[in-house]
Amino acid sequence: MRRLFEAWHGFKAGTWLGWQIESNWTEPFLFAIYSVIKPVAGVLILVFMYLLVAKGGLENPLFPQAFLGTTFYLYVVNVLSGISWTVIDDREHYGMLKYVYMAPMHLYGYLLGRGMAKTAVATISVLITLAFGLAFLKVRLSLVNPGLFTAALILGLAALAFYGILLAGVSLLIARHGWVVGDVVAGGLYLLCGTAFPLSLLPLPFRALGLWLPPTYWFEALRRTLLGQGLHAELSPFSDSTLLLILAGATFLGMALSLWIFRVAERIAVRRGLLDMQTMY
Amino acid sequence: MGTLMGRMLLGEIAVKTEELTRVFRLRKREAREGRREILALDRVNLEVCWGELFGLLGPNGAGKTTLIKILATLLAPTSGRAWVAGADVVENPAEVRRHINMVCGGETSGYGLLTVEENLWMFAQFYGIPSREARRRIRELLSLVGMADRASTKVYHLSSGMRQKMNIVRGFLTDPKILFLDEPTLGLDVQTARTIRDFVRQWLLDHPDRTILLTTHYMHEADELCQRVAIIDRGRILACAPPAELKKALQRDVVFRLYVEGIADAKNLLDGMKGVRALAQHMEEGRLSVDLILSEEEALVSVLSRLHAAGARLAELKKEEPTLEDVFLSLVGRKLSEESP
Amino acid sequence: MTNPGWKTFLRTVLGRAYPRFIGVWREKSWLFFDVFLPLLQVSAYVYIYRAIGAPLEFSGFAVLGGAMIAYWMNVLWSMASQLYWEKETGNLQLYLIAPTSRMAILLGMALGGLTATTVRAAGVILVGTLLFRVPLQVADGALFFGVFLLTLISLYGLGMLLSSVFLLWGREAWHLSQLFMEPVYLFSGFYFPVRALGFWVAAVASLIPITLGLDAMRQLLYPQLMEKFRFLSVEVELGILAFLAVLFLFLSREGLRFFEDLARREGRLTLRGQ
Repeated sequence: MRRLFEAWHGFKAGTWLGWQIESNWTEPFLFAIYSVIKPVAGVLILVFMYLLVAKGGLENPLFPQAFLGTTFYLYVVNVLSGISWTVIDDREHYGMLKYVYMAPMHLYGYLLGRGMAKTAVATISVLITLAFGLAFLKVRLSLVNPGLFTAALILGLAALAFYGILLAGVSLLIARHGWVVGDVVAGGLYLLCGTAFPLSLLPLPFRALGLWLPPTYWFEALRRTLLGQGLHAELSPFSDSTLLLILAGATFLGMALSLWIFRVAERIAVRRGLLDMQTMY
Repeated sequence: MGTLMGRMLLGEIAVKTEELTRVFRLRKREAREGRREILALDRVNLEVCWGELFGLLGPNGAGKTTLIKILATLLAPTSGRAWVAGADVVENPAEVRRHINMVCGGETSGYGLLTVEENLWMFAQFYGIPSREARRRIRELLSLVGMADRASTKVYHLSSGMRQKMNIVRGFLTDPKILFLDEPTLGLDVQTARTIRDFVRQWLLDHPDRTILLTTHYMHEADELCQRVAIIDRGRILACAPPAELKKALQRDVVFRLYVEGIADAKNLLDGMKGVRALAQHMEEGRLSVDLILSEEEALVSVLSRLHAAGARLAELKKEEPTLEDVFLSLVGRKLSEESP
Repeated sequence: MTNPGWKTFLRTVLGRAYPRFIGVWREKSWLFFDVFLPLLQVSAYVYIYRAIGAPLEFSGFAVLGGAMIAYWMNVLWSMASQLYWEKETGNLQLYLIAPTSRMAILLGMALGGLTATTVRAAGVILVGTLLFRVPLQVADGALFFGVFLLTLISLYGLGMLLSSVFLLWGREAWHLSQLFMEPVYLFSGFYFPVRALGFWVAAVASLIPITLGLDAMRQLLYPQLMEKFRFLSVEVELGILAFLAVLFLFLSREGLRFFEDLARREGRLTLRGQ
């Protein structure tokens, strides 16, 4: 009970601090530009690739699928890199990690809270990108099954937060490099989860790996609820509720895995004295 | 050519400031009590001679670090001028840098992934010191501060005391003519602080033509090391003289330390009383400790009777020799440990 | 600006490059994260092209773009925002009081960072050719290498300029670096020929040297396909790159002086935790 209270305490503190950091770094006007340009530019790369090559350009039936995957992928990159960056930033920039660790609150809960703030910021980007797609790219969305959409969205976001913390555990043990571990893992997930193309294009081992990754199911559920159909032939035998069940299982597994790996990483970090290391080079 | 330039060229003055002022302008959201400006240095005039170990003594926020940063060419003054080794810090910062180095307490320098020796070697390169010579100096200085066996240790494995010793070595490694030490023993244990003080003193003995400007808020450090001390508070220099002379100015005053029980505040009771020049108080083990500077010993009788009338019981009374702390108290009306408001 | 003499200049370059050289070998976790995983990101773009039935050369565009992204990332994260990081960790003030050239310090950072970046870029190219059978044959190797080298020189010149600008911006520097990722991938045409954006957009985007470098290298790799998509001729692009290299190196030197003075006046050089 006490541990639960400490975790809640950490979660609250992390959410508050995260929002202060995320929203307060600049003037609101610059923040707005930042929130619009970055995600829209990501989607426009896809747009130009289609315009240059694809039959029918943006009318190509694959485009809405790729657009939706790329848009919701913003959550993946924001949450994964955001949480793992928090560890490096708090450790090497603000020198706060050791104090957070020492405080009678859970570091895990605290990071989950920081992830919450990242999710809030990502939501702004996702909404803007969706609006851009509807207004300028002729993407037609219709909310086929609101219940399924809400459940899938919440489960997927929870899973992402847990996997973010798993990566935060890894970050506890490694140096500060030019890239954040969350960024590169997110980059990998863009490929392996068939975010913008059918999984069937991948070589068999990668395809198999993709089928083990929760975002694959998440993107598919979101596509079915917002576009009326999915992208991957491999997932077509699964009903909507099966997809949701798999997503729930993956979320639960993510929670268990992240709890376990984070605790192991935490122990190693304490044993080796890594909580306050300065590794910039 | 003015007198100053003449004395500089004659080689007497290492550091000189003239009406040096620095104002920090705050952003709207950072305004303090409606004020958008902070006066960090207020018309500071100082002269530090070659071969001198000069101390700047003042509480946190007094302006010591601001002054050091201006002299080290890291910050521009708002008005006034400053010269280091004869060069104007604003007009000719490059010339200033040839002669200086700086060590700040409580800070890390270099990269955690590198070893102590590698970090020091890297900094030596920025001063154009050939590698072989740099390594010789590093070995020599590390053994002087008792870190010879840590040369190959990665910096992030060092304790904070060790890091500060490495930082000290970095400052001396380049053999600067003028060295700025900004709170060099901040937060260190007694033993490490002593090692650093001994090292600084010895270095100046070995290099009598060099100059050190030391800022500290530890009065015994200034007392022990410095040939002259300037007392600074709220950006202004309040006094500047050798420690003994500063204390001597208080000789005609009498310094008492009282421990009283039964009351929590003596300041309101005694402030403004005839014969009371300054006082500071703090709670110590449940008793009120009162440092009292009296212009005449006779005033003690009326002080004690007023305390008695207020219900205080005198637990202990000591007559003390004046310290720099008392000098500060008599000049500022606060103790050094209290931050500048 | 300090004029320390060429020996100190060289020593400074080596001194600042050293932590980066040694960091790469001492902390090997970068190998996995910096080399292997970004390959997956490039692969994703290759598969997007495959999904829409693009000719193999387009996959070559993505592979080359992916390799050049390594350098852009290095410039953004290990140069542009580096002085800000150095300030936050207390090193910047020690650099600034040293009687050496700031350009030498930045150059040292650049050289050190190039090592790891080149390994990563080479990894992307290697896997691209082996795994996706992307054709990468250059008719004029010397010209290709010249374009590549000039691109890097002007790019790192831009990095030096950005580092002094970012220094003034405090914590915004991190976000600025973030902001310069996807939009630059788009406008510099990392994954498709920049001409697709239209002449004038491509012209403005050419301020970032990778835009022209990529276009020229693609022309040298795929002359037939690029007939349709080329922005300017290779010779013109080479000339502009040479001009940009000189311009950025000059501006970065002046910029360093200007922004350092400004930061010193505003008291931002040593102000932390912004």
